[in-house]
Amino acid sequence: METAINIAYACKLISNEMKQFIISSETDVIREVEERGDQVELARVMKEEVKKELKKCLEEAQQYFNTLSGPKLALVIDGKCLMYALDPSLRVMLLNLSLNCNSVVCCRVSPLQKAQVTTLVKKGARKITLSIGDGANDVSMIQAAHVGVGISGLEGMQAVMASDFAIAQFRFLSDLLLVHGRWSYLRICKVVTYFFYKNLTFTLTQFWFTFQTGFSGQRFYDDWFQSLYNVMFTSLPVIIYGLLEKDVSASLSKKYPQLYMEGIRNSFFKWRVVAMWAFSAIYQSLIFYYFVTDSTSTGQNSSGKMFGLWDVSTVAFTCVVVTVNLRLLMMCNSMTRWHYISVGGSVLAWFVFVFVYSLIRENVLYVIYVIMSTFYFYLSFLLVPTVALLLDFIHQGIQRWFFPYDYQVVQEIHRNEPDGYLRAGGLEISNHLTPDEARSFAISQLPRETSKHTGFAFDSPGYESFFAAQQGVYVPQKAWDVVRRASMRSKAKAPLPPKR
Amino acid sequence: MADRGRTGSGGGGGQGDVETAKKTRKPKYSRFSQQELPACKPVLTPGWVITTFISIGVVFIPIGLASLFASQRVTEIVHQYDIDCIPPEFSDDTVGFIKSDKTNKTCTRTITVPKQMKSPIYVYYQLNNFYQNHRRYVKNRDDKQLWSREDERSSQDCKPEAFTANGQPIVPCGLIAWSLFNDTYKFRVNDKALEVNKKGIAWSSDREHKFGSNVYPKNFQSGSLIGGAKLNSSIPLSEQEDLIVWMRPAALPTFRKLYGKIETDLEANDKINIVIENNYNTYSFGGKKKLVLSTTSWMGGRNDFLGLAYLTVGGLCLFLAISFILVYVLKPRPLGDPSYLSWNRNAAGILN
Repeated sequence: METAINIAYACKLISNEMKQFIISSETDVIREVEERGDQVELARVMKEEVKKELKKCLEEAQQYFNTLSGPKLALVIDGKCLMYALDPSLRVMLLNLSLNCNSVVCCRVSPLQKAQVTTLVKKGARKITLSIGDGANDVSMIQAAHVGVGISGLEGMQAVMASDFAIAQFRFLSDLLLVHGRWSYLRICKVVTYFFYKNLTFTLTQFWFTFQTGFSGQRFYDDWFQSLYNVMFTSLPVIIYGLLEKDVSASLSKKYPQLYMEGIRNSFFKWRVVAMWAFSAIYQSLIFYYFVTDSTSTGQNSSGKMFGLWDVSTVAFTCVVVTVNLRLLMMCNSMTRWHYISVGGSVLAWFVFVFVYSLIRENVLYVIYVIMSTFYFYLSFLLVPTVALLLDFIHQGIQRWFFPYDYQVVQEIHRNEPDGYLRAGGLEISNHLTPDEARSFAISQLPRETSKHTGFAFDSPGYESFFAAQQGVYVPQKAWDVVRRASMRSKAKAPLPPKR
Repeated sequence: MADRGRTGSGGGGGQGDVETAKKTRKPKYSRFSQQELPACKPVLTPGWVITTFISIGVVFIPIGLASLFASQRVTEIVHQYDIDCIPPEFSDDTVGFIKSDKTNKTCTRTITVPKQMKSPIYVYYQLNNFYQNHRRYVKNRDDKQLWSREDERSSQDCKPEAFTANGQPIVPCGLIAWSLFNDTYKFRVNDKALEVNKKGIAWSSDREHKFGSNVYPKNFQSGSLIGGAKLNSSIPLSEQEDLIVWMRPAALPTFRKLYGKIETDLEANDKINIVIENNYNTYSFGGKKKLVLSTTSWMGGRNDFLGLAYLTVGGLCLFLAISFILVYVLKPRPLGDPSYLSWNRNAAGILN
């Protein structure tokens, strides 16, 4: 237990200011009963002890909680006590106590108990749980949590195979969560809302047309325009956005870990956000439809000729494609050359397509050449997307100014700094290395003797002491040890020698 | 936040996956996969917002003025004649009047020119409540048949105007052609007849690429129900400009189609005498017929919409620019002020 506590200090899980609650099975009372050897009695006594301890700690914790500036709390519990604490009657107390604590250290636990504790928090506290481990004994815990992270390393690949995410070193966990997890959330939210927006705009523009066709169901756009809208003219930009969007750079994400709270608060996918996109889509579709149809009601060029249905709808469709792509650019926080290529390419693809298509297809024959020969087309091509995007632009301007998101404030704070990775040779995983990080990385790159001793310093439960066996002291097999050995499917490796 | 360390799983300082100096399992570095592409990171500062609004205003207002000016210079005369062209004895049986071929459909109207109109003056007929954009109407044509003589056989889309009673194909088939507008207008001013030029009223792409020059009307309007005008079967379709203009389906139920051009100037206060053959039946569905005379500008006919829209948007943007400047002056927020971070704004912690 002491080793566990020491490691917790080293990892900064526990600090000297924290009040520690220790529930240990090495107390005199329990040792006494153990010596007597009666298992039933032992179980009963242990249960009583654990219950007493838990109650005491819980009351103390409540007290600390009620005072405003109480110290932080930590709980240390070992495997034997945990076995009784996970009993249905005591489980709730354990959960309450551990949720009030800043850190909980469980030592000498079996894989089954790890999974049980994870499930307890998952179901009882209804929070999202993440577990990380690198050995085969962590597999059940990894699978029990919402997000399981496995570390691929010297202990083999069991944890990696069972996990949702696999990383190479423990320190990459901060990157996984704070950088990539956050970006992933942002990207998914934006991609999903944008996708609904662009289809809503496109469809609603047609919808307003049905009111003026006698509700006969005549399509506004030509069939191939409609089919290829989502495939060719608007698909690539949003894919590039979903791959490459970053609100703040990787180093800033780690410098301001509170930015992660935006995901926890679900600030990018609330109903209000979705409603704003939907409103924007409705507004834009009205602009597209009415601006184009109202301005084509009289003769269109100096020779007085009139536009037909397909001319009007091609003008509207061109405006829709251009607006929707420009809206994506407005939404970007970091624009790489792929963004420009995909947006420009999509609009270009539309024009190339319609130039070729209108030479082939009978009902829209030469439509684009007809409309491009009028001044009207260029005037409305300038006006309509601008008016459509005006509302979004105003909304963005006001929102950024008066109600900025945290990441927007961070962007403003660091707006004048050059990007870290433009330095030559910066191939590190993190873009900015503080001097400490740089030193530890450099040390880890030094050549090392390949030794089997990995430097893990913790107890292994249930090992039969070599010396004890020599002395003829026989320690019976513990139940959790049997389970532990059974759960290790890796190459038959003897458990690491404990540090005594 | 409840955080739990565990014994038995990765404490600090693993060796990483650099097993030997040469054999490394690090993935191949590429700027794309490591997401380190050079990027432009625009930050929408108030300066940018105000600049954008001002530039939109500055660009749009002149364009709006130019468009509006051009549109205002166009003179347009709209004259509804369908009600007035019914003789008083038929005023409660308009449908009967229009359908009967014994009634006299000639009607004379007079209109006054309000301002000088320079040639060419375009003559349009405008129909209201006529749904050329109805789904079954729009598909009721056969474009292949219109273009080439070999595809004379009418397609199924043209029903019921595809074949005659004895199975002969109708060229051009379909309801769009069948309902061809057949009112005619003759103009006289100061006792001189005005020539209406009916050539060049259709888009040249239609004349050259859609309607064949070796396709002649056949069996057209030969059934018992006449829908509109008859066609001269010795003139090829590419020269039947009325038909070409009519067959370009209009987008809205109120539409105009070009009838012809008058190539003389008209002076202000001229009285134009129009002799109308009121043949077309819009009475059975509550439609209206109007005659329109209009000059054009570089932008086309009289349509204030674009000009007004540009002016409105330009003005709105300038107004927004001014109000943003005011707000910026009255309620400034320093850019990048850390006190706006949510964890600095809430005194107590957010989630514990």
